[in-house]
Amino acid sequence: MISLSYYIACAVVLYIIGLYCLASKRNMIKLVMGLEILVNAAHVSFIAFSAYVSPGYVDPLGHSVVIMSIGFAGCVTALALVIVTYAYKHYKTLDVWKLRRLRR
Amino acid sequence: MFTPPLDALLVFMVGTPVIGWVIRKKAYTKVQGIYASVGLLVAAYFLYGLSLEVSEKGIVLIAGVPPFNPPLGACLQIDTFSVFMTLLYITIGLVTTVYSIKFMERDSSLTEYYTLMLGLVAGMTGVVFAGDFFTLFVFWELMCLTSYALVAFRKQKWESIEAGFKYLIMSAAGSATILLAMSFLYGMTGTLNFAALASRLANTTSEGWLYITLALVIVGFGIKAAIVPFHTWLPDAHAAAPSPVSAMLSGVMVQTGACALIRILLLVFSSAQPAWQTTLAIFAVFTMFGGNLMALLQNDLKRLLAFSTIAHMGYIIFGFAVASQEGLTASLFHIVNHAVMKSLLFLCAGAFIRQTKTRDLRKLRGIRRAMPMTSAAFTIGTIAIAAFPPLNGFWSEMMIITAGVRAKMIVFSALTLANIALSVVYYFRLIRIIILEKPTKASKKATKAPISIVIPILILAFLCIFIGVYPGPYIDASSKAAEALLNIETYIGAVLRGL
Repeated sequence: MISLSYYIACAVVLYIIGLYCLASKRNMIKLVMGLEILVNAAHVSFIAFSAYVSPGYVDPLGHSVVIMSIGFAGCVTALALVIVTYAYKHYKTLDVWKLRRLRR
Repeated sequence: MFTPPLDALLVFMVGTPVIGWVIRKKAYTKVQGIYASVGLLVAAYFLYGLSLEVSEKGIVLIAGVPPFNPPLGACLQIDTFSVFMTLLYITIGLVTTVYSIKFMERDSSLTEYYTLMLGLVAGMTGVVFAGDFFTLFVFWELMCLTSYALVAFRKQKWESIEAGFKYLIMSAAGSATILLAMSFLYGMTGTLNFAALASRLANTTSEGWLYITLALVIVGFGIKAAIVPFHTWLPDAHAAAPSPVSAMLSGVMVQTGACALIRILLLVFSSAQPAWQTTLAIFAVFTMFGGNLMALLQNDLKRLLAFSTIAHMGYIIFGFAVASQEGLTASLFHIVNHAVMKSLLFLCAGAFIRQTKTRDLRKLRGIRRAMPMTSAAFTIGTIAIAAFPPLNGFWSEMMIITAGVRAKMIVFSALTLANIALSVVYYFRLIRIIILEKPTKASKKATKAPISIVIPILILAFLCIFIGVYPGPYIDASSKAAEALLNIETYIGAVLRGL
C-alpha cells in the first residue's frame, strides 16, 4: 500500500499548479481550468484521507463531501463559462489583460 | 427538513420561477418582488418562533436521520448568535427587496433576480446555522454562486461582466482553499463536525498541520471577508452590481465571511488562539489602512463606498481579533450598525444613479436641490458612518477601541482610532459634494426619486438615528450573541452529550 504522504504531496502540488495557472495565464478559459485544478486538489486530498482515516475501512464522509463539491464546481464552471461567453461577445477576445477597463 | 426560517426561504426561492412562469407577461413587473418580500416576511415570522425556542433551550440541534446523529451525520446547530445574524440578514434582505421592486423594474429577467436574492439570504442563513463543515460548505457555495450571478446580473454592460469574472475567479479560489483546509482537518481527526473537531483538536500533537490549516482557513474566508491582500474583487464587484445588490453584498455578505471565520477560529482552533489573534489584528490594521487610503482617491461614488466597506471590515476584524466578550460584542454591534449605514448609503447612491445616470462625484455636485429627501438620508448615513456621537456608528466604534485597550492591544487600538479620524476626511468630502456645492448640469436635471424608493431609504435612516439614540437593547442582543460565540463548552456538549 502506498504511503499517505504521497497522496498529500500530490494534492499540494496540484494546488500549487492551480494557483500558478490562476496567476500566470491570460486566457479566460484557462483561468476556469485553473479553478478546476484547485478544486480537484482538495478532492484528491479528501479521497486519500477517507481511505486512511480509519484503518481497514473507507470512510463515506469524505466521498459524500467530494460528490457534493463536484456538483458545486460544475455550477461554478458553468457560470464562469457563461460570463466568458458574454465577455467574448463584448470584446472579441479571451485575453483578460485586454479587459482592463476597470483598472483606475 | 431544515429549520422553519431556512425552509421558508428555500421554498420561496424555488417558488419564484413558478410565479414568474405563471404570470409571464411583461406588464406585471412587481409580482415577483412582492412575492419575494412576502417570503422574507414569512421567514422572519418563523425566525421569531425559532428565537423563542433558542432562548429557552440555549442551543437547538437539527440532526439528520437517526443512525447518523451528529457527530456522524450533518447537522444544523442554532444558538443566539445564529438567530442574531439571521435577523439582520432578513431585515436587510427585506429592505433591499422592497427597494428593488421599483428600482429594477426596467431590467429584464426579474424572476431570476428575486430567485437569486432569496438564494443569497438563504445561503447566508445556512452559513450561520451550520453545525459542521459539510453543511457550512454547501450553504457557503449557495451564497457564493448566487452572489456571482447577481454581480454579473446586468450582463449587457461590460463593467458587470469584468467585475463578475474577477469576483468569480478570486472567490472560487477562496472556496477551494477552504475545501483543502477542510480536507486537512478531516485527515487529522476523521470528522467534520465543529463540536467533535473542537474536542479532538484541543490537545493535538500535529502542531505543524494545525498551523498550515489555520493559514488556509484565514486565507479562504479572508477572501470573502475582503481582508486587504485579498480585497481586490470587492471595489469592482460592489461598483458594478445593481445598487440593491451592492447594499446586500456590502451590508451583510462580506460580514458573513468574517462571522464564519470567527466561529471556526473560536471553536476549532482554540488551541492556537494567541497565533490567530495576532495574525487577525495585523491583517485588520492593513485592511483599515488599505480601505481608507484608497477611498481618499476615488471619484466614483460606489467605489468610494466600497473602499469604505473594506475599512469597516478592518474595524470588525480587529474586534474579532480581541476575542474577549467585549471585543466580540463591539464587533457584532458594529456589524449591525454597518449593515444599516452602508445599505442606506448604497441605496441612496442607487437613487442618485437612477435619476442622474452617473456615478461620478464631480457630476453629482449639489444634488441636494433636486433630491432633498434622499440627500437628507444620505447625509444622516454619512454622519453616522463617520462616527459622530448622536448616531449609531459612534457607539460601536468606541466600543471596539475600548475593548482593544482593555485587552492590552494599545498599538492596534491607536491605529484604529487614527483610521477612524482619517476616514472622516472623505466622508466630509461626500457631504460637501452632495450638500454644499453648486449644482452641475446633470444634478439640475435630476428629478425626485419615486416614493417606493424613498421609503426603504427613510426606514434605514430612521434606524440609524434610533439605534444611535437608544442603543441599549441592540448592545444587549449583541452581548448575548457574543456570549453564545464564546460559550464553547455548551456548544460542544450539545452534540457530544449522548456519547
